[in-house]
Amino acid sequence: MLRYLAKRALTYAFMIFLTTTAGYFLAVSTLKPALLEQERIPRPTPEQVANSFRLKGLDPDLSPWERYVDWLTGILTRWDWGRSPNGAFINAEFGDRVWISTRLFLASIILTLIIGVALGVYTAARQYKASDRVITSYSYLVYIVPAPIAYFLVQLGAININETVGERLFFVTGISTPGLEGDGWAQFIDMLAHYAVPTFAITIVGWGTYQIAQRQYLLDNVNADFVRTARAKGLTRNQAITRHALRVSFIPVAQSIAFTIPAIFAGGFFAEKIFAWHGVGSWSIDAISLQDVNAATATLAYGSVIFAIGAILADFATTLVDPRVRVQ
Amino acid sequence: MSSEMTASAESSTLSTAERLRVAGLHAPDDAPADAVLSIRDLNVRFNTENGVVHAVRGIDFDLRAGRTLGIVGESGSGKSVTSMAVMGLLPETAEISGSVRLNGKELLGLSDKAMCRHRGNDLAMVFQDPLSSLTPVYTVGNQIIEALTVHNPTMTKRAKEARAVELLALVGIPSPKDRFKAFPHEFSGGMRQRVMIAIAIANNPRVLIADEPTTALDVTIQAQVLEVLHTAQEETGAAVVMITHDLGVVAGMADDIMVMYAGKPVETGSVDDIYYNPRMPYTMGLLGAVPRVDIAEKTSLVPIEGIPPNLVHTPTGCSFAPRCPLASDSCLQGEPELWAVAGENLDGGMPHKAACIKTDSLGLEVDVHEIFRAPAVPVSRFDAIPREERRTVLELRDVKKHFPLLKGALLKRRIGTVKAVDGLSFDIREGECFSIVGESGCGKTTTLLEIMEFHKDQDGEVVIGGLSNKEASDARTKSAMRKELQMVFQDPTGALDPRFTVFEVLSEPLENAGMAKAQIRKRIMELMELVGLQPDHVNRFPNQFSGGQRQRIGIARALAVNPKLVVLDEPVSALDVSVQAGVINLLDKLRAELGLSYLMVAHDLSVVRHISNRVAVMYLGKIVEIGDVDAVFDNPRHPYTRALLSAIPVPDPALERTRERIILEGDLPSPLDAPAGCNFATRCPVFAALPPARQEKCLTLEPPLEPLPAPGPGGTPAPPTDQQFACFYPDGELDADALVVHETN
Ligand SMILES: Nc1ncnc2c1ncn2[C@@H]1O[C@H](COP(=O)(O)OP(=O)(O)OP(=O)(O)O)[C@@H](O)[C@H]1O
Ligand code: SF4
Ligand code: SF4
Ligand SMILES: [Mg+2]
Repeated sequence: MLRYLAKRALTYAFMIFLTTTAGYFLAVSTLKPALLEQERIPRPTPEQVANSFRLKGLDPDLSPWERYVDWLTGILTRWDWGRSPNGAFINAEFGDRVWISTRLFLASIILTLIIGVALGVYTAARQYKASDRVITSYSYLVYIVPAPIAYFLVQLGAININETVGERLFFVTGISTPGLEGDGWAQFIDMLAHYAVPTFAITIVGWGTYQIAQRQYLLDNVNADFVRTARAKGLTRNQAITRHALRVSFIPVAQSIAFTIPAIFAGGFFAEKIFAWHGVGSWSIDAISLQDVNAATATLAYGSVIFAIGAILADFATTLVDPRVRVQ
Repeated sequence: MSSEMTASAESSTLSTAERLRVAGLHAPDDAPADAVLSIRDLNVRFNTENGVVHAVRGIDFDLRAGRTLGIVGESGSGKSVTSMAVMGLLPETAEISGSVRLNGKELLGLSDKAMCRHRGNDLAMVFQDPLSSLTPVYTVGNQIIEALTVHNPTMTKRAKEARAVELLALVGIPSPKDRFKAFPHEFSGGMRQRVMIAIAIANNPRVLIADEPTTALDVTIQAQVLEVLHTAQEETGAAVVMITHDLGVVAGMADDIMVMYAGKPVETGSVDDIYYNPRMPYTMGLLGAVPRVDIAEKTSLVPIEGIPPNLVHTPTGCSFAPRCPLASDSCLQGEPELWAVAGENLDGGMPHKAACIKTDSLGLEVDVHEIFRAPAVPVSRFDAIPREERRTVLELRDVKKHFPLLKGALLKRRIGTVKAVDGLSFDIREGECFSIVGESGCGKTTTLLEIMEFHKDQDGEVVIGGLSNKEASDARTKSAMRKELQMVFQDPTGALDPRFTVFEVLSEPLENAGMAKAQIRKRIMELMELVGLQPDHVNRFPNQFSGGQRQRIGIARALAVNPKLVVLDEPVSALDVSVQAGVINLLDKLRAELGLSYLMVAHDLSVVRHISNRVAVMYLGKIVEIGDVDAVFDNPRHPYTRALLSAIPVPDPALERTRERIILEGDLPSPLDAPAGCNFATRCPVFAALPPARQEKCLTLEPPLEPLPAPGPGGTPAPPTDQQFACFYPDGELDADALVVHETN
């Protein structure tokens, strides 16, 4: 088991390396920070620009391959992911932003999974009854509504509540109140007030896919031959379904975790932009508009790592529920 | 569901009693005292989009402990619905009325919870498809223990485990202690069905229902599983309801038979009554429609034309009338009831009854072939010419197909070789039907694919109509080859594109052959007639035809370009018995009339015997016995052929009861672990009985495919046949453990 996971991890490490390398070459050959410098006032001379970039390790005169070797050597020997055109160190910036993004999404992902699967099971058990129709229609609705629009609506709703109550219950932007004084309790309340809106927004648009998938897989299995066998043994229909169909229906859902976790992170830049959380997602957009090669590559590397983590988690979950994988 | 059901049961009580009195049956209360299961006027209706499907229309029977009732009938006749109604496992949308009593207690109308006290306890069931009937994520031991836990909450874990291991041993799982922790996917189909039986008999049921328990299995495995069912019945003393479409399977097992048609029993009686003295045209036709594996038949099969009625419309007359050659106007005046057939009821089993108004005129002297107008046996012009003088249409010389077995994700390592086809040589002459038989996985399909492949780089030579794959395999030769050889597939529905009309399906190969428009039309009309379809149906789509008709379209398509050789891949295995007979007769007729040769692959040895001239028996990629079909079937020399033939049940109860059966050990081994010497040694009953000194030869040398050794001086000269087999000890004693005879039933 451990060996199996270690082997998978190794494969993913190799994949991350490949995507990141490809990403670097793409970025280095398309992003030209020097052009932006030309818009500064007073306009610096090309020599000045090249000089300042050379100091930051962004020498535009070197060939992409030379820059790649330098960049890679930096990472491998000093774990130094380079600098931005404005001189900031990627490593420092990155650490902050990863922490912010993780805080923004972790709770949502867990809630999405739990609520989605639970509702899927609930609606499958009440197939075609009113509650099933309502919940499943809702899931299909959020499936089609673009996430940013849903986030805006939630934000407006929160503002509305604040206005109705006449007091600021929820913060609709930002991650904490700067310079807040007070004891632990006050800090905690402040955190909740900041977290509530984005977490709620991401969760309620996220669980739909899980609900639909779990409901469908379970329904596919409630009339399976092995459920009939279980009933023929003397289990009631409900017992047979909970003991036999449910576990089997988890298998494909567990496998889909691999794609959902990176999807939530990837879709995250909307959320980060809308709720003004300065995480990795918004950074990746900024990196491109600021022609920042190193930052763009770093966010790509981060995305691949998240994907790998999702895939390993999915492997792990599948192994837990499906003995057929365990044996191989 | 319950209130609805009791209401409808009550409202029909009066008419039920009346009906039963007229039919000469007992009223619900006077079921025989020793009956464990009594069913009275069972009716099941389903509300569907197309209307109310009346799937089961009045079933009555009593079943006593230790007896076996066989329910036979073609697909859709309501066999499964009946069994599921008894088990209380029908969907809630089903409307059930009548009475089902288990040990005198009414089961209909019980809630799911109340039913659970009986299900798996005194009433158990084995289902058809063993591959999907076990939960993939739990161990088999776990699933057996669950059955024990439900009904014996106080049993200790130790006791349950011991009982589960005991059950696994009883159903013949080798080393049950270790296998107890195995998952279903680690078991073969046959072993999973054994586990299903173990689950069913875990609590010593009084009634055991088996719905097509062996349909999905190979013949040698079927024989094993039927044997296990036999043991299970002896062990538990349960009454068994055995549902099947195969008249052979129940002949040796059942005491009584109920023949169902369109949701109704049309004939009931003791097994001998039904098989030797059928009194209803449908039963008679069914019995005449199955080919026999044990005798060389000189007659055609009895075809039953048409399809069963749609159960949305309640039949007003005899439901079999549209297909019955004896139907007359009086048959349409109300549906015939089950009338008692004159004769004595010897063993106190089911009284012999038939639902046909002409029962009395259908005595023993009636010839069913005449009634159903079975065609005469067609005679081919080639039959008179000795085989050696006929042209060879297909020849295989040492054809091999080995698949490397690879392991690893990125860098593949070769860990072995699967010898799917390992050195096959045979030839097919003009006008003959050559069949390859063997269990699934023995390489039949790969052989066909190798022939169709027709490529220079193949291992071995394939010669089709004089064209060799070695000489030229450019597109021209290939298309010339295609004109010589055409294929008919197993699944008639999957092989036809539903968006094309029959005309389009048939014109495609003709257009490819460059035929002119007007001629195509003429040829298609010819083809339709040839395969027994109405020419004015050419503009219909495949889904407007029945399965048998679709297979006829497939045959017409293969014949369009006038091939010499037609490859038939399981041509009738997807069809019901009654329909199958018509297609087999057609194939027989076409072979004779058009001088065709067939290469057929089939697992049903009865069908093979009926239409083939020559046969090859394959085991693990090799031919183990080959020769004239009657020679091989009447005098099999290879132990595998002997076992295979003895495993096939024949629709003859007296014969079945006394027949000696060779039950092979275990499953077909994977071709990967093919042993060094004779690859049948692991299961060979002759080998098992040999002294170790002689076993050595089987284990080290590969037996060659050879004709019978020349008789020694003074020995009677063997009749001249070209029978060949690959075994060192064809006259060896069989291991006593492998032999099973049921003297008394
Ligand atoms: N849940 C259902 N809803 C509607 N119709 C059904 C349902 N189950 C069975 N039927 C219909 O009832 C009839 C009898 O079906 P049944 O399965 O008993 O046939 P069978 O004799 O077991 O056939 P087979 O040999 O193919 O197993 C068929 O016409 C079938 O379509
Ligand atoms: S009642 Fe008539 S139609 Fe029905 S089986 Fe008898 S002869 Fe045929
Ligand atoms: S050669 Fe030996 S093992 Fe093989 S079939 Fe004959 S007796 Fe059995
Ligand atoms: Mg059935």
